Amino acid sequence: MMSCVPSEQKHPQAEGSPLPSSFASRFLSHSGISLKPAYYQLILSSFPEIGFFEIHAENYLSKGGPARHYLNLIRQHYPITVHGVGLSIGGEHVINQQHLEQVAQLVNEVQPQIFSEHLAWSSHDSTFLNDLLPVAYDEATLRRVCEHIDHIQSHVKRQVLIENPSTYFEFHRSEMSETDFLAEMVKRTGCGLLLDVNNVEVSCFNHGHDPYQYLNNFPVAAVGQIHLAGHTTDSNAVVPLKIDSHDEAVSHDVWALYKHTLSLTGDCPTLIERDGNLPPIGELLAEAHLADSIRQVNQQESRREHAI
Amino acid sequence: MNTQFKAALLTEDTRFYEEIKASSMEEQEVRLNVYRNNVTVSLIEALCDIFPVTEAIVGDEFFHAMARIYLLNNPPSSPIIREYGQNFSDFIRNFEPAQSLPYLPDLAALEHAMLTLTHSEEYDMLDQEAVSDAFTSVEDPSTLSLRVPPTTHILVSPFAIGSLYQAHFSDGHQRLNQVEINKSEYLLLVKSHLYAQLHVINKEEAIFIKNLMQEKTLGNAVPESDSFNLGETLAKLIEWKILTNVTQIHTKQPL
Repeated sequence: MMSCVPSEQKHPQAEGSPLPSSFASRFLSHSGISLKPAYYQLILSSFPEIGFFEIHAENYLSKGGPARHYLNLIRQHYPITVHGVGLSIGGEHVINQQHLEQVAQLVNEVQPQIFSEHLAWSSHDSTFLNDLLPVAYDEATLRRVCEHIDHIQSHVKRQVLIENPSTYFEFHRSEMSETDFLAEMVKRTGCGLLLDVNNVEVSCFNHGHDPYQYLNNFPVAAVGQIHLAGHTTDSNAVVPLKIDSHDEAVSHDVWALYKHTLSLTGDCPTLIERDGNLPPIGELLAEAHLADSIRQVNQQESRREHAI
Repeated sequence: MNTQFKAALLTEDTRFYEEIKASSMEEQEVRLNVYRNNVTVSLIEALCDIFPVTEAIVGDEFFHAMARIYLLNNPPSSPIIREYGQNFSDFIRNFEPAQSLPYLPDLAALEHAMLTLTHSEEYDMLDQEAVSDAFTSVEDPSTLSLRVPPTTHILVSPFAIGSLYQAHFSDGHQRLNQVEINKSEYLLLVKSHLYAQLHVINKEEAIFIKNLMQEKTLGNAVPESDSFNLGETLAKLIEWKILTNVTQIHTKQPL
């Protein structure tokens, strides 16, 4: 049966206390949502039906305080995925070693179902710009990105999934398509991919590409997780742009793209990603349950095709 | 190339524009502006989260304008964004339009210290019973050593910034404009369980706690002052649950 989880992992899972096997199957079958401090109390009092929670690594690197405390309580009941936003894999300089050690320690402690990062940069000359900035798709960048991924995977002692970016311009110096760049990155490092369907919609819209064609070219065999999020539209008069804002519900066009994505990847762990304008948790749970029902339909259709 | 990219994000530098595919310079600028906006807006939001009382005092508009100037000249260095704003207090001290609020730099420093303290490590605290057991188990309580967490600190400000901070978080019981701001205050910043606590204390209590932090025994920590009330102060330390250890210091008996 077709599955989006990479069959061969260059970097096996780190040794440590194994999580209950029910966590692994729950993560694989039920979609998750972003974990936000505003939801901590409610999660621990009502234990909502949800596949997993995803955290941003950089928000959980304190020695103490509420974030780590609540994470430790919540992870006793739910599978967790760790999403890094600060390693600057696309940066021109070496990876910030101190930061990598901290992230590696968190990953080792939490033993998440997945650890992911971005094809982007955020740090340069000891400045952290707090945004996911784009990289050129040329051989020099590819080599550097692969070195950084190798370095990270050897430190966290497991496979990392790298997310396709949302971008607002393309580089003149790019020599290959984004999907070719990602495919080569997977081939050289053994990393997996996190396919953010909203980013596909946003980037393709901003660059005049067909998102369905983009997905058809995507190296789907390496995809280990899917992200769905909301976007907004920039109202400037020069060029219409979609903005990857994570502060809205998932849009209709992204749900449609998601169905197409699943037909290519097979069933795949899916996250409803929300960072701003947080709604009552019930709205995010409902989106996750909608993703679950789309996944069920996709699995039925795929079984029917196999039967024929 | 990222040196130019970074310069384009934080300044008016246009050298990076030639890297951007677009049909006009205007379009290059619009596309780059999305990133400029992401950087500045996300960092302004971060500063609002770290300095909510400062923001409430000066208002959104003033705070955002001040934060924008700060961040363009002092972008963060760490990917852990809650650590940002280390020198925001110093910046405010030299920020001309904020000079009419001389207490603002101290308030910002207090907010940063409180957030840093909340994220510092936790220590096991003694409950009331454990403290009274320690007191009843010795003949002479003045030989006891009372410990607070090593992350504890005491601040003194010429302004009532502690009362201001507490008024902001008091759910409307106290109003910011009811605080007599030109009154100096001693502040105890201490962490019990998950969060930093802020207590406005008097000078004698400040001296006493400072002495405890220097590991003086209870007898030696009591300040020489008629207004100091040991019983009341100990009751506060127990109520705030900020004692990590109460032990007897064994001094060598003279031969």
